[in-house]
Amino acid sequence: MSSRHAPGAGGPAPRGPLVARSGVAPETSRLYLGGRGCGTMGPPSRETWAQRLGAFRASPSAFMAGPEGEDLGRDLLIELRSEKLSEQTKVSLLALSLEYPAQLWPDAAAAEAAATSLLDTLVLLPPRPSALRRPLLLAATTVLAAGDALGPTSGASRRLLPLLLGLASGRDLGRGFGPASEQRPLQATACECLRELESCKPGLLGDCLGLLRRLLGQEGPVQPLSLLLALALRNALVIRAKAKAGLQGLLVAGDAPTPGGPWNWALAEEGGAHPQPQAPSWPAAEDEECGLAVLEPSPEEARELRAAVAQLLDSSYLLTPVAQAQLLWLLGWALRGLRGQPPVLFKPQLVRLLGTAQLALLHAVLALKAAFGEALFTAQDEALLLRRLTLAAQHPALPLPAHLFYLHCLLSFPENCPLGPAGEEAAPLLLGPRLGRSLLPSLLHDPMALLARLHLLCLLCAEDEEEEKGQGWSPQRYLGELLAGLRQRADLDGGPRALAALCFQASYLVVRCLATQPLVLTPLTHGLAELYRARPALAPHFVDLLDRVGPELGEPLRAVLRQEVVSRAGRDEALRWHLKILAKVADGNAPSATLGFLRAAAAHCTDWGLQQALLRVCRTLMRAGVREGLADLLQALARQLDDPDGRDHARLYYILLAHLAGPKLGVALGPSLAAPALTSSLVAENQGFAAVLMVQEAPAPIRLSVGPRRAAGPGPVLQLQVEVLEPVFSLELRFRVQGQLYAPLDAVHVPCLRPGRPCSPLLLPLQPRLPAPTQLSVRALYATPAGLTCHAHLPPVPVNFEDLFLPFPQAPDDGDKQGFFEELWDSCLPKGAESRLWCPLGPQGLEALVSRHLEPFVVVAQPPTSYHVAIRLPPDSRLLLRLEAAQAGGVPVALRTDHWAVLPLAGDYLRGLSATG
Amino acid sequence: MAQRAVWLISHEPGTPLCGTVRFSRRYPTVEKRARVFNGTSYVPIPEDGPFLKALLFELRLLDDNKDFVESRDSCSHINKTSVYGLVIGGGELWPVVAFLKNNMIYACVPLVEQTLSPHPPLISISGISQSFELLFGIQDFLFLGQKNDTELNTKLNQLPDLFLQACPFGTLLDANLQNSLDSINFASVPHPQKQPAWRVGTYKGKPQVSISITEKVKSMQYDKQDIADTWQVVGAVTCKCDLEGNMPNVTISLSLPTNGSPLQDILVHPCVTSLDSAILTSSSIDTMDDSAFSGPYKFPFTPPLESFNLCYYTSQVPVPPILGFYQMKEEEIQVKITVNLKLHESVKNNFEFCEAHIPFYNRGPITHVECKVSFGQLEVFREKSLLVWIIGQKFPKSMEISLSGTVTFGAKSQEKQPFDEICIGGTAYLKTGN
Repeated sequence: MSSRHAPGAGGPAPRGPLVARSGVAPETSRLYLGGRGCGTMGPPSRETWAQRLGAFRASPSAFMAGPEGEDLGRDLLIELRSEKLSEQTKVSLLALSLEYPAQLWPDAAAAEAAATSLLDTLVLLPPRPSALRRPLLLAATTVLAAGDALGPTSGASRRLLPLLLGLASGRDLGRGFGPASEQRPLQATACECLRELESCKPGLLGDCLGLLRRLLGQEGPVQPLSLLLALALRNALVIRAKAKAGLQGLLVAGDAPTPGGPWNWALAEEGGAHPQPQAPSWPAAEDEECGLAVLEPSPEEARELRAAVAQLLDSSYLLTPVAQAQLLWLLGWALRGLRGQPPVLFKPQLVRLLGTAQLALLHAVLALKAAFGEALFTAQDEALLLRRLTLAAQHPALPLPAHLFYLHCLLSFPENCPLGPAGEEAAPLLLGPRLGRSLLPSLLHDPMALLARLHLLCLLCAEDEEEEKGQGWSPQRYLGELLAGLRQRADLDGGPRALAALCFQASYLVVRCLATQPLVLTPLTHGLAELYRARPALAPHFVDLLDRVGPELGEPLRAVLRQEVVSRAGRDEALRWHLKILAKVADGNAPSATLGFLRAAAAHCTDWGLQQALLRVCRTLMRAGVREGLADLLQALARQLDDPDGRDHARLYYILLAHLAGPKLGVALGPSLAAPALTSSLVAENQGFAAVLMVQEAPAPIRLSVGPRRAAGPGPVLQLQVEVLEPVFSLELRFRVQGQLYAPLDAVHVPCLRPGRPCSPLLLPLQPRLPAPTQLSVRALYATPAGLTCHAHLPPVPVNFEDLFLPFPQAPDDGDKQGFFEELWDSCLPKGAESRLWCPLGPQGLEALVSRHLEPFVVVAQPPTSYHVAIRLPPDSRLLLRLEAAQAGGVPVALRTDHWAVLPLAGDYLRGLSATG
Repeated sequence: MAQRAVWLISHEPGTPLCGTVRFSRRYPTVEKRARVFNGTSYVPIPEDGPFLKALLFELRLLDDNKDFVESRDSCSHINKTSVYGLVIGGGELWPVVAFLKNNMIYACVPLVEQTLSPHPPLISISGISQSFELLFGIQDFLFLGQKNDTELNTKLNQLPDLFLQACPFGTLLDANLQNSLDSINFASVPHPQKQPAWRVGTYKGKPQVSISITEKVKSMQYDKQDIADTWQVVGAVTCKCDLEGNMPNVTISLSLPTNGSPLQDILVHPCVTSLDSAILTSSSIDTMDDSAFSGPYKFPFTPPLESFNLCYYTSQVPVPPILGFYQMKEEEIQVKITVNLKLHESVKNNFEFCEAHIPFYNRGPITHVECKVSFGQLEVFREKSLLVWIIGQKFPKSMEISLSGTVTFGAKSQEKQPFDEICIGGTAYLKTGN
């Protein structure tokens, strides 16, 4: 610590012993270059700072976006060295940098520069006692760790780490670090800083385990050193296990980095950049266990490890309860799965911990229970732990949040031999009915405690059902009485919403746990119906409950609520609630009663809201398939309602009802496709109708292909094969010929197509106006199983030249075929055209070529050398071919046609034949 | 194990925001870890304003909670612990540990070292219990022995410095904040090795140990044949040990008086070094044979410097100290009440004060009271719908006193009168205190 450094530009002159400062990246020095006096206001006073900090804290994002935001970080660092500000103000400035470093110095370079400046400020402090040293250390640590600047290339890190380690090990750092009286608190603070750095970069202290153990054994402060050692140990174990490497003498490693010497980043880099969970949640930790098993410490290493853990545990009593809990979590999960490390080490601590009322300690015991299970807790221990938990969950000396947490621990208790599926709340087996009964819910409990205890009671009821029915006390009856009490409270006129919510939450919880118990559900259903009778204003809760429960409660509850509503006169004050309920529960059952109620109610629906509510019920009935009577009601509403919007709506519904078949109506009235979230809004609803009733553009689920040619009949016919990817109904295929080459084509209809079920080919007669190939564009119109009408464009279907070929009506069988052909041949000229070309033959030869492509059109054949072919081309052209004297590579073809335009097509066709095989 | 942020919010019903953030503290290094651990389920800590709004909504502490709001009132939104999920900026901030006590909301967000979707069980998150300890610690610091608002403000102003001491990086070092305050003051005293972290400083002077036992009786008396009355004593043993030395060893042994009921449900202070297993198993829940442990109850410990609760217990007394009879008959806007109280002879007839409170709920304001008391005097608090019967320091020689008369109520106006969800119609209670 003897070397001097040059202060950054604009920084104050050094006045005391300094620590070496390694190079600062050039771009970071702008922090200083902006320098003092750059702001417009001059150095802010204490009051200005208080205002500024207040404004910042009120909304950091708004402040940073404002004009002052940019300079805040820089000003803060400069002001820390100002002699005008009191230490108290400077501490509050440092508090800001502890909380908001990311806002003040947003990138790694700025964080590095800020940390460097903070360290400079620290070493420049006069040697008298100062309240700034601790917060400066904390701030430098926070800024480095939070700003992603911690690493071997960071100069500030290279300064801070040895400094912290020096302080933590109680080394004399010279008078610059304050009077001797300040050393002890600084030592503890340095340990905390190192612990935080180790948390953010596991493995950072991998080299210091031996040193820390020695310090703990000597005079160091117990708590900070214990926690630091435990964390560093745990991280080292995990990293080594991940790297599948041994401990390699980590625990007895000699000295820590020498002052000024290079820091060993090897283990931290081995651990990767990511922090390690210090106390991983249980399910996540399962994997890690396998990882730790890789570590196979030598007997000597295992002994050292045990000694280190025992050393930590032995002095754990000296730690504050929360720190003890942290230590147990760290060590418990560090040793789990590690060979040769018996969990018995923890045993001496357990009895002491089980007796306390301290939440963190009992929680840590539960963590040990989860980590080691039977290896540390026998069945008797487990029973004792459960008794203590049950006791703590209701102890009058403990606060409510602690009770609730213990109740949660009971329901998620890590049992030695769990029966149910993992991760689900269950009553532990050893809890038993006696202990369980001590946690019964009562109306006097706080709502959360009531729900937690109710859950336990439900679980006990579920078990009770499986066991024999005992005499005397019945949990089901108790549950029924409790629910009745809750309903009575929800019924309180003017009672807060929370009471109603509690009643419904309890009912929901019961249904979820006990859906199969009619003994519970039947009274619940009737009780809820009574509650509705007494307080219809709870309708939103009922609707919500119906939305969430299964059919076990949902169906009977719907029925009784419907009954409850329709049996009333329509002019009730609570009409809007009745309509709300009815819109939820109306169905095809007993529609006449529902319609009667609606007819009576219509007269009292005087405002828009009520009319809409009424129409919503109509809509529900339409969806349920009710027709009879509903049409009359809608017609009446279309005339009778005051509001034009309501009338229009009624009319629309009436038209829909009159014109659409059941399934289509169901889809039309289903949740709006256009804006599913806005079902109640009229506009959205109409958009929904429009979407449903109009033809939808859709990607085609249909594939069309051209099948084999059929050269027969009076005109050319295209055979189409259709395949579908999903069921399609009422398919209409529309074809259009590009240009005027063909007469318009008729549409093809298919009633129903299903995937995987082949349909007979579709025949599409073509009426060419000229003998020319073309493409047909295809559109499909069809209905989906959901009732939507869709429209799709399909890929165009090609019509090839050869698709138009038709044979001549045959010459008489016995007649002079040759003569017939010659006659045709001669008739082509002089109007037509003649040509000769070379038709290349593939390896298969002429005979095969003819039989494959031209068979139907051959008039005279002298296989294998000579064929005369006559082709009729609709509408009224002909093409005649003489294929004679075939040679090895091809055959010379003489061709004539009466339509000159056919020649090039025929030429292309013939030349392409051999290519198509 | 660490906390991402802590808040203290005073609940101020009737104001536009219904609350003010009195203190907040964020931990950026923990936040950085949260971002890595939570992955895609990470939701950043919001600024104070949005947090306040979301928390008050979730805790139902906004004035405007008349209408059904699905995200809060839905039957499937079941909260069984003081841990909440707050919807903020489209994401869910979870777990938020929060509770309301003395009009102050204590809240913090612990770090969860894994993904948050699905939520891992709370029991498996180490930070949860640390959160509770921190919040209980703040609560004790603010309200133990606090007398007025000025004192509260002073303590609130001390919090930033205390947090630098007790929770500098979000990992709680000591939930006893008073201790941290003392350690700031004791900073210059050299600490010897082997001194407990919870025993800051040393005592110099005359050694003395003071012990006080406080017992509260909870009793429900039905005056019915088929329902048994119940009563339970809840006791606390408080100690203050002024002893020299780093780690003085003290053992306190509690013995029952003759025919005294055994102590049950014993919870001890963490400084107790060992416990008899009979003490651990003696419980009121499950009266097995081995649970009837009648002492002596030995508690060996090294005391902290400050006064502390060595242990809590419950016990069954053979009879309640005051036997009561309370009858209420409702006649339209009037109720006729009769109260008899009888002090048990085994109780010393000498109190600092003794009062009986007779509250009336879910009714209009008290318009007229016509009551006769056989002893003491009656005070009427009309606006609170409350009668207070001041018995004084002694019961009369007969040990029995009575009150009878009628109370008339005005028309019910919903807003102002006390509401209670239990005391409906003829259900009412009377509370004695001394």
